[in-house]
Amino acid sequence: MNAMIDDETLDRQLREAAPYIDDDGFTARVMAKLPAARRERRWLRAAILIGLTVLGSGIAYLLSGGGRFVVAGVIQLSSFPIWLLLVFAFGCGLVVGAFAVIFAIRKTPEARDLARFRL
Amino acid sequence: MELTDADLIARVLADDDQHAFGELVGRHQSSVRGLLRQLTRTDISLADDLAQETFIRAYKNIRSFRGEARFSTWLYRIAYNRFREDARKRKELVGVDEELLQAEHDPQTVDPGLRHDLMHALNLLPLHERTAVVLCCQNGLSHDEAARVLDIPLGTVKTNVLRGREKLKRTLAAWAPN
Repeated sequence: MNAMIDDETLDRQLREAAPYIDDDGFTARVMAKLPAARRERRWLRAAILIGLTVLGSGIAYLLSGGGRFVVAGVIQLSSFPIWLLLVFAFGCGLVVGAFAVIFAIRKTPEARDLARFRL
Repeated sequence: MELTDADLIARVLADDDQHAFGELVGRHQSSVRGLLRQLTRTDISLADDLAQETFIRAYKNIRSFRGEARFSTWLYRIAYNRFREDARKRKELVGVDEELLQAEHDPQTVDPGLRHDLMHALNLLPLHERTAVVLCCQNGLSHDEAARVLDIPLGTVKTNVLRGREKLKRTLAAWAPN
């Protein structure tokens, strides 16, 4: 009987003995059996959101007497000191910018992967 | 630049991108089908059916993949679970391996034509040792990853790999020409 081979040699032989299995249409068969993508439901969700937004805006417009509150708000703003308006505008810019950065990260796979995956 | 598995998974998650999933299937089909062929003892038809179901199940549950392990490890786990479900149905999980384990101890029952065929030697191992050896030695998983795939304690994986290796070595040594 020959001497036994070491672990490393055995593992290497096992890896070499396992042949690469050609795809031979396997991936196509899997893809054909996948459930339909959920894109339709996304459109439905978007349509519902837009519909509700339009409906809510319409109701608010009617209840506010034709949007007079907007005119009143602008008149009120015009009476504010200029420095307060600048601070307000700067604050709004910061908030919008922060949200933009957050959404940009969430929409960028590379950045999102850093937070979510450790592959 | 080639996209990583993480990039492709992110696309599937964000846009339900089936092309990205197809790329993942193409990358991992060989190893998953290879594992299942070993588990089913080279029943290629059954192994490929199980592999198909593995990938479909992976697609449906991809949101539960949190990236704590490699994608391939996650796929192996699904494949192994699918194999066990099927084996339970076929009532083959217990019994068959014991017969073959007995056969291994009797050199007369080993086909001389298979003497240098490592894959056939592997097929003579009982299921739990064969699975551990295939995952760790052939597919390069760590013992810890294999323990997660098989859902068994780390120590059991180490024992199974050790015993499987020893049996393979003994078989190969006995088969080698003097």
